[in-house]
Amino acid sequence: MRRLPVYLLLDTSGGMFGEPIQALNNALSSLINALRSDPMALDTVWISIITFDRAAKEVIPLTELASFQLPEIACLQTGPRHTGQALELLINKVTKEVRKGSGTQKGDWKPLLFLFTKGAPADKLDFTKAVPLVKALQFGTIVSCAAGYIKDEELLKLLSDNVVHLDNADSHTIKQFFKWVSETIEHGNKSQGTGETVTLPPPPAEITVVT
Amino acid sequence: MSETKKYIQSLFTQNQIPVKVNRSKLFEEFTNAAQNISAVNTIKENQDMLKKNWNIQNKVADIMDKQLIIPNGSVNKPYEVTLDFIKAGFNGLKYTAFEGLDKYGLCYNSETQTISGTPTESGDFKIAFQFRIEEEQNDSALNNKTISLVINADPKSLWKEIASDQDKDDAWKAANYWKPDRANDFAGLGTKHLVVASNRGRSHANVGSYRDDDYAFSFLEPVGWSIVCVADGAGSSSFSRKGSRLACDGVIEYFRDNLSAEMLDQFDIDLKQYHEGPNEEASKRISFFVYDNLSKAALYAHKKIEDFAVKTERPVKDFHSTLIFSLYKKYDFGYAILTFGVGDCPIAVINKDLTEVKLMNWLDVGEFGGGTRFITMPEIFTSDKFSTRFGFKLIDDFAYLFMMTDGIYDPKFVVEANLDKMEKWKGFIADLKGENEDNAKVNFSADNNAIANELSAWMDFWSPGNHDDRTLAVIF
Repeated sequence: MRRLPVYLLLDTSGGMFGEPIQALNNALSSLINALRSDPMALDTVWISIITFDRAAKEVIPLTELASFQLPEIACLQTGPRHTGQALELLINKVTKEVRKGSGTQKGDWKPLLFLFTKGAPADKLDFTKAVPLVKALQFGTIVSCAAGYIKDEELLKLLSDNVVHLDNADSHTIKQFFKWVSETIEHGNKSQGTGETVTLPPPPAEITVVT
Repeated sequence: MSETKKYIQSLFTQNQIPVKVNRSKLFEEFTNAAQNISAVNTIKENQDMLKKNWNIQNKVADIMDKQLIIPNGSVNKPYEVTLDFIKAGFNGLKYTAFEGLDKYGLCYNSETQTISGTPTESGDFKIAFQFRIEEEQNDSALNNKTISLVINADPKSLWKEIASDQDKDDAWKAANYWKPDRANDFAGLGTKHLVVASNRGRSHANVGSYRDDDYAFSFLEPVGWSIVCVADGAGSSSFSRKGSRLACDGVIEYFRDNLSAEMLDQFDIDLKQYHEGPNEEASKRISFFVYDNLSKAALYAHKKIEDFAVKTERPVKDFHSTLIFSLYKKYDFGYAILTFGVGDCPIAVINKDLTEVKLMNWLDVGEFGGGTRFITMPEIFTSDKFSTRFGFKLIDDFAYLFMMTDGIYDPKFVVEANLDKMEKWKGFIADLKGENEDNAKVNFSADNNAIANELSAWMDFWSPGNHDDRTLAVIF
């Protein structure tokens, strides 16, 4: 059976403290529940959660949706955001976990990457170094989501063409974003030409696509 | 010195109450008084009780703070999990129970510490774990800890069957490239029979969208050749159902208009020579004939889609479709089979004795699932590998010629390497003949009028994660 690997990279730096981290936890729970009620997702989706603050951490290794148990994502009160380190960890995991097709092995669907961040990477150098390596992994789609005001949105644009912006990091907006994530995931397992990427569903009003 | 005396002495010292030497006799009497001995004993008992109770509450709190992870279950799937309390850090349990498990079709055996049963209801449930630790009295109130239990729905129950506009009028259907959810045919085709069925996949039924697969077949009477085409529209392209239709029709149209008896004169001679023994010249001419004619048909199908895209002002990629087609004809010395394929749909010929399989094409499968190539991509015609997309086989006779889309290939063969294995094909044929959990059977007999419906019904088999459109053509 073909798996659809989904990687969630979540900001847990000081900027997320308070309502944003609460909202994120609630939205993740809704996301998992929405996917659980989708029969195709239940058969194919595998999820991994990587968080990043001062350090990057694999909170949940790639796990099939049916067995997935969502932990409480905690964040620090203060501290920097090392997005670059998260990408390095991601590259390591994807290389090991995502199966490529061959004569004797069924290939996974192209993996999907969702990066949720409250601000720009503090480790800009690591981040820019990791970007081309992440791109070489041939994700079906990479969506970067900037919640609230971000000074360096341009940096996120290096990573993907799909940068979306949330005006607020409140619970309603974050929930809408993850609802859209779930729709995108449900689109992720369709046959396509080699080299083509997943078409994104139209985003809800709360999300501004940065062009 | 008595215990009571020691205790009182230490109490007085702590409280800086001096006992003068001239009062030592009085103090001795004080410590021997029954009332005071009893008071000291009561204090000591209460202290012990406090220590013990604190110890209990501390241990219970340790357990309350820790997580007990119970693996997720699924409705209708037998569930059995033995809990490892020690590993979870739950030490010294003497009584364990779960409240409310029976509501979900599960029960708990405290001796084996096992939860088992077959879940009946899906959801994210909170269940009460009740326990006592060693230090607690057997009749003490139970400790309650809320634990999460996730039961996934049975995927089968989540699929919806949403109709795809079959009630609309013909003009609307034509304008929207509508096609029936299920199509099948049974026909004599040349000297063989063809049974073919195409079913809309559950992933389409779930959202009410249309079938993307298609097929077409024809017997070209003047030349005696039969053609069968199968095409699979790309799931990610919005009008691929039209692409697959145009591809199939295009191929039939091309051969109907272009394959003439004159063109075939030399080819017939070459086939005879090829049959009689190694003949390099004949071989070369055959290869060229196959390449020349089948590539023109493929290009014709490509152009037909391209023209349609231009006419409807849409990008060609909206019509992405794979395409395989086979031509066959019976000669005195056997069957000649010619094939072409682009995409991930296999064509295979099984000999009369069911001992050998010949895979006629290689599959365009990328590193990742779903990544393939389409007849709509101009680059396939200019690629170095284009000439390897053609197949030719001269065979005395054959039991089956199979053509299928990935909706069949993925669940039944899984990987490309299996397509070369006769064992796998034997299993596949046995499956078609009824060796499956649904007892769905296709009786391959020329006078079986129900055969097309039998094949459609067989193709409804359940396979987790495989919910694409399914098309299977069998020539026998």
